[in-house]
Amino acid sequence: MVRYSYFPGCNLKTNAKGFEETAIAVSKKLSAELVEIPNWNCCGTVHTLSTDNMMRRIAPVRVLSRSRKHIDTLDEETPNEVVTLCSMCNSTLKIVNDEVKHDHDKLEKVNYQLEEDDEIYKEDMEVKHFLEILRDKIGFENIAKNVVNPLKGLKISPYYGCMLLHPDKAAIDDVEMPSVLEYLVESLGAEVVDSPFFKLCCGSYQIVDEDRIVDSQVTKIVEAARKRGANALVVACPLCAYNIDHQQKILKEKVPGKLPLPVFYFTQLMALALGVPLKLNHFEDHHINPKPLLKELGLSGGKK
Amino acid sequence: MSKTQIKEKEENETPMVKVYIMGSSHEVPASLTIMKAIEYAGFKIKRGAGCRAGFCGACATVYRKAGDYRIYAALACQTQVEDGMVLTQLPFVPAPKAKYDINKLSPTGNTILQFYPEVARCLSCNACSKVCPQDIHVMDYVQYSLQGQIKKAAEESFDCVQCGLCTIRCPAEIPQYHVATLVRRLHGKYEMKSPDTLEARVEEIEAGFYEEGFNELMKLSKDELRHKYFHERDFIDQKKA
Repeated sequence: MVRYSYFPGCNLKTNAKGFEETAIAVSKKLSAELVEIPNWNCCGTVHTLSTDNMMRRIAPVRVLSRSRKHIDTLDEETPNEVVTLCSMCNSTLKIVNDEVKHDHDKLEKVNYQLEEDDEIYKEDMEVKHFLEILRDKIGFENIAKNVVNPLKGLKISPYYGCMLLHPDKAAIDDVEMPSVLEYLVESLGAEVVDSPFFKLCCGSYQIVDEDRIVDSQVTKIVEAARKRGANALVVACPLCAYNIDHQQKILKEKVPGKLPLPVFYFTQLMALALGVPLKLNHFEDHHINPKPLLKELGLSGGKK
Repeated sequence: MSKTQIKEKEENETPMVKVYIMGSSHEVPASLTIMKAIEYAGFKIKRGAGCRAGFCGACATVYRKAGDYRIYAALACQTQVEDGMVLTQLPFVPAPKAKYDINKLSPTGNTILQFYPEVARCLSCNACSKVCPQDIHVMDYVQYSLQGQIKKAAEESFDCVQCGLCTIRCPAEIPQYHVATLVRRLHGKYEMKSPDTLEARVEEIEAGFYEEGFNELMKLSKDELRHKYFHERDFIDQKKA
């Protein structure tokens, strides 16, 4: 059992509880337990593009420092890595980690603010998305070996969104031909449905005051997947999940007829396949209920 | 000044220090707290003094020390003066305080953001924790509130005396101590088990159990009340009973 220092991010405690709880449950099944940093703070959300705004870089660097301290309380074999689930947190933390490692002036300025708290960052951390741990440390073969309920009948279209693949510094996979979600879905016994819109922007924060932009993006993403035979989507980002899930419900009311596609976090699919209790999925928080589809395919049993 | 005079001074008087109160210098005994020093210097504190025992948070004070660039903050009633201190009182902190009906809320991060949206502006700079005279991890509880971890936020903020120093220092303009009040109310109302003894006592009060005794007291004259207060009240007897 390897224990990892895990950084949740605010969404995992609010809108995406099912993402977090299933991730922790499957991490234990795969002997790579995610252990939450006890006193984590905001990742800094959207990374600032102004190069001299150091205030906005304090939060992500503090996360790295606190995670490093947390690792000292874990095991000897715990790597100097902070593991994230949210694509946005992953992206922001990776970019800032890279920035301060390459620009010592910046690091010094940030560290000056962290000094009094005894939280100086010593450039000794790496940021990893849980998908990277699954691919590089655990391996898909190993995951496949642990499957107890193969997800037969699920035709999944992987949706990456922007943050997992952009910018280069934060990418976890090939920017044009990513494969990590595809391999994962296959290892769980489900069918992969390729879609050309796997990284078309979901509309992001336009959801706040311009939701018609999101509507148009979501329609493209979902229709492309449906045309190719998908009956569900898999995502890794709580904002993508919210936009695609919630706006399909709105669109269904506006344009009746087409059945919406349920949206899963990749850890929820893993939880179903590895026999983790169904309630950890928090399907009640979904706007498009995945349960009818799972029932139809005989997958809702889990391990009773 | 002759030598003998100096010697007399050393023997008979407590050591003095020089402090600056709102810019003017004053010699005060070194053993005093900041609050007593201000009064010793002749100021009357009308607002900015309360319990004088470190519990009420009314006496937030901001100061610098001689030859030190840092800004310090403390409770005036709990901190001893030092030579060269430059002092001022912070008798009141203007901070927006939300109005809500605690019975109509839910213990979530969204509730916090509804009433205190500026919480989302937190930069994690930790200036609030550094200034806190109670040594509370203020930034951590602000983060827990944002994350919807109401229980953790309530427990972390429990020792707050609402002096308001965090709010004055915050670059994101968050009224931390009011956020803390909201999270503790949410935690108390929706997450904690209500103690049976308290419910029983409230029922007794509502049923009029103490009505008669209070009415009797209200009818007494000032002298009779004084007699009861000084001569009939006996805590030891009450314990035995």
